[in-house]
Amino acid sequence: MYAIELENVVRTYQIGDVMTHALDGVSLRFAEGEFTAVVGPSGSGKTTMLQLMGCLDRPNSGVVIVGGQDVTNLNANKRADLRREKIGFIFQFFALVPVLTAYENVELPLLLNGVNSRERKQRVDELLNAVGLEDRSSHRPDQMSGGEQQRVAIARALAPRPLLVLADEPTANLDTDNGTQAMEIMQRLNSETGTAFVFATHDPRVMVHARRVIELQDGRVVSNGESAQ
Amino acid sequence: MAFNKLWVIAFRDLGRNRRRSILTILAVTLGLAVLILMSSYIAGIIDGSISDSIYLNTGHLQVRTEGYEPEKASLQWQDLLENWNEIQVRASAIEGVEAIAPVLWARGFLTTADETIGVRITGIDPGSGFYDPIRQSLVAGEYLGAEDRGGVLVGKHLADSLGINAGSKINLLVGTSDGEMDEDTFTVRGVFSTGVLTYDEGTVYMTLSKAQALTGAGDRISAMIVLTEDTESAEPVAAALRGQGRSVVTWQDMNALILQAVETGMSFYYLLYGIVILVVAVIITNTLLMSVFERTREIGILAALGMKGRQIRVMILLEAGSLAVLGIIGGIILGSLVVWYLMVTGIPIGDQIASMAQGFAMRSVLYTKFVPGDMVGLSVAMLVIVLLGALYPASFAARLEPVEALHAL
Repeated sequence: MYAIELENVVRTYQIGDVMTHALDGVSLRFAEGEFTAVVGPSGSGKTTMLQLMGCLDRPNSGVVIVGGQDVTNLNANKRADLRREKIGFIFQFFALVPVLTAYENVELPLLLNGVNSRERKQRVDELLNAVGLEDRSSHRPDQMSGGEQQRVAIARALAPRPLLVLADEPTANLDTDNGTQAMEIMQRLNSETGTAFVFATHDPRVMVHARRVIELQDGRVVSNGESAQ
Repeated sequence: MAFNKLWVIAFRDLGRNRRRSILTILAVTLGLAVLILMSSYIAGIIDGSISDSIYLNTGHLQVRTEGYEPEKASLQWQDLLENWNEIQVRASAIEGVEAIAPVLWARGFLTTADETIGVRITGIDPGSGFYDPIRQSLVAGEYLGAEDRGGVLVGKHLADSLGINAGSKINLLVGTSDGEMDEDTFTVRGVFSTGVLTYDEGTVYMTLSKAQALTGAGDRISAMIVLTEDTESAEPVAAALRGQGRSVVTWQDMNALILQAVETGMSFYYLLYGIVILVVAVIITNTLLMSVFERTREIGILAALGMKGRQIRVMILLEAGSLAVLGIIGGIILGSLVVWYLMVTGIPIGDQIASMAQGFAMRSVLYTKFVPGDMVGLSVAMLVIVLLGALYPASFAARLEPVEALHAL
């Protein structure tokens, strides 16, 4: 079974009188446990594609299937449920809740999923350990470096044991060492958990780690990278 | 999601922009303190005014003839009460009656060598407990003796304005039952100061027997004043005293003007309450809206994590609730302190303003009164209004599309 399938997906934006085709008939399939980079120049549609895959947005036409379920026309609440249970997000700007500690940030999606306190503690401890931040659990984001914050974000994305993690330029704001460290952690966790990772990136360091590279240009798939699998 | 975690986020969010949160809490605090003060002030005026009127003038009820009109202070025999001893005996046997006082009212003029002033002459039984407040408020001279036929008590304002004091001689020109005027000379036995200008500047007390003789009323009185244990006891006692040819009026009837003015005045105060509460609500709405705008990206992240619109709405409402509760605690403390201070020191409004309250027992120093029920009611109203004010920013945050919110990245 595929983690995600996109079938002839079109997403257009109207800015003033101008209609922009952010995605123009994209069809792609992502298997469970994939570690895939989506590359392409700015405006090629990478972020839009991730947003549609993550049920943050809806296509103008085409079909999005997550874990075998057609999610194209789900309402806002159902999409929120799906994101909560099946999809993890990692953003370029770390995107932690600033008033919560590292521990609480990782715990948040588990609370949203109604996981009991004992299991929450066990999973949060495991994940913070896995990203090497067990001794930073009581720190708030403003007390941590960018690299540490992104590692907390990785732990948070994996906390609900999602089907896939979507990462939009996850290394763009990290220096080389931290970027490499983050990618290595994600690669390791991908192998250990079987969770699929899909990255939108310009960063060659990410592409090096990817087992499949999809190339987009002007909202169309130039190369779907399946041969690289 | 666990409600307490939403609360933790909401509460910690208040600490992000401390100055703004403190100022908002302060707005709630000051708003509520003002409301509590206004309510205590009004309660103090109403309570004081009605209480003064009852204990210094009307009593809880009066027995009169059916035709008696107090504002005319008629001395016509048919308007006066005969055989009042029988009523006095009957009233004293009723449970809940504290004091009984036969009284005769007449209009007259008090003249000195230099001046003449219109006064209300009140013939009293000096032994009646109803006049204890007058006895206790003497500031010069002595109280009337039971058989005193040559002495009067005058209010301090009246005495001051005429330049007289205890021991001074005065002339009283009084209307009589047959429509003529009679005159007599009296000695000012004592000067009283009740603090209520209406009484202190226009009332002259003398013994009932002297008043009856002076006015030609015979053994008749204007009314039998009855003081009961409390306002609630007035009606049952009134019912027991009603009978053929006489009317019994209660404190509500006699203070109808005050009660009606209170009712009219309250609608104005409710309007003021509304304005204060509305201002606080606008401040809360503005604060939370700014906070939501600043956190648009973060709300997008929470939505991306799967937080639903209603959870986001609850989170913002909890934030508003926290602001409100902290502000309300401050408001109750500040409001109570100010009310307590003004309960002790009073608010001087000046004799001129007090004297403008015609027909009102208005003191020249007003005191606030604690009304716990009002305080609770206003606090709850404040909380509700703050939450209503927070509904718009909360709904705005809840309706944010995750994609648009994340674009604030």
